[in-house]
Amino acid sequence: MQQRRVAITGIGLVSPYGGDLADFFSHLMAGESAIRHLLTEDLPRPLSIPFVSCPTFDPESALGKPLASMMDRFAQLGMAAAFAAWDDCGLPRITDDSAVRDGWGVAWGTALGGTLAYEKGYRELWQKGRERLSPLSVLLGMNNAANAHISIQLGLGGVSMSHTVACASSAIAIGEAFRRVRSGEATVMVTGGSDVPQAYGVARAWEALRVMAPGDADTSPAACRPFASNRRGLVLGEGGAALVLEDWEHAVARGARIHGEIVGYGTSCDHTHLVRPEAAGQIRALNATLADAGLTADDIDYINAHGTATAEGDPVEVAALKAVFGERAARLPVSATKSMHGHLLGAAGAIEAIATVLALREQAVLPTANLAGQIDPACVGVDHVTAGRRGVPLRAALSNSFAFGGSNAVLAFRRVP
Amino acid sequence: MDSIALIRDFLKDRLGVEAEKIVPEAALADLGVDSLMMLELMFEFEDHFGIKLSPDLKPPRTVGEMVSQMDQLISEKKD
Repeated sequence: MQQRRVAITGIGLVSPYGGDLADFFSHLMAGESAIRHLLTEDLPRPLSIPFVSCPTFDPESALGKPLASMMDRFAQLGMAAAFAAWDDCGLPRITDDSAVRDGWGVAWGTALGGTLAYEKGYRELWQKGRERLSPLSVLLGMNNAANAHISIQLGLGGVSMSHTVACASSAIAIGEAFRRVRSGEATVMVTGGSDVPQAYGVARAWEALRVMAPGDADTSPAACRPFASNRRGLVLGEGGAALVLEDWEHAVARGARIHGEIVGYGTSCDHTHLVRPEAAGQIRALNATLADAGLTADDIDYINAHGTATAEGDPVEVAALKAVFGERAARLPVSATKSMHGHLLGAAGAIEAIATVLALREQAVLPTANLAGQIDPACVGVDHVTAGRRGVPLRAALSNSFAFGGSNAVLAFRRVP
Repeated sequence: MDSIALIRDFLKDRLGVEAEKIVPEAALADLGVDSLMMLELMFEFEDHFGIKLSPDLKPPRTVGEMVSQMDQLISEKKD
């Protein structure tokens, strides 16, 4: 079958800044961090970490009480983001002709799924001494809860699946959704990801890995410093981010606004170590994506890096970019927006895909916060963007997601003039 | 708390249903109680009143049916 072009017609997220998409983008362009100090009331020892929350997100007002009460927070964030993306694409939530949507589907990314729901259950059993759990616990906790709710709410009768690939979960979800639309199998796919890493056991486990940046109320906003010599590690965050991918001709025929085009998707596995990244694996994913997109290194004008601000990860990513882009690497704008919106784990690929598509649409390069004057000598060799740049002619861009487990996924996007 | 108060609290908390709609003749399905919510509501009764609902219990159709079923089980437990 002839390959279809794939339009991005809907973008939606639950913004950690509390505003809409334009507000999200302008905060990122200004280098403003959404990272704050999180102090919980957990027993026996509260969490006290830099974190990105969505404090203004009210599930009941976003979803209505009956729907919100059937969901764990990861599904609430996912559903709210999906509704926002769907409304943005201009299609009605409910259709009279439901058969049209029989082949439309959802591919969702989440690393943790309903971990918070399970954790609540453990607390009931072990801390409060209860013997039984609510019958809804299973349905709140299952990893495919978000995509299932999205399919139900939007009447999508095709595939409804979740992808759990650590930090690459939603990049892979978007890539798999892209392939379904490109092949003609689905006319429309809702995709993205959501996660809530503030589960007590999850956050404590990440702390034990010694990859989390420290910070208090004063220092937390600048706690995440990718590519900087004074970087101390990553900052986790909660969130939900969604895109609507649509067959190009279908989008044009209905007069939809097209934000950008998704043109390539490549994956690889380092197959060497669970957590130590390997440039060779990342290079394979980058090259596979360029080949899939029919692009060359010379066509790429911006890279949204994985850039988590860990000691090991950042130099390896820069080495991979230098290997793929050669002499051009020194002039290739690269930024790690995790410095501002944090690491959303299973939603990271999706929020960064949105940042990349908006950068192309707005012809503006997003910065890495906290990097000016601090670039690590081990990370030099690309054009590190330390302040937002406007009015830059960007043709195409890549978004990198490199996960624990060695799973790599890269997405390629093209500007639609 | 009596049975109807528990149903009122539950439906207000979970589904945002106003208390005055929860009258004996109201059909539970019309109030938004589907099979999953019914499981959850039964769980609340078991939890709150320390009763055990048989797996064979016929799901009540109206608020009134549920109240009389539950009141029956609660009084049996007291005996």
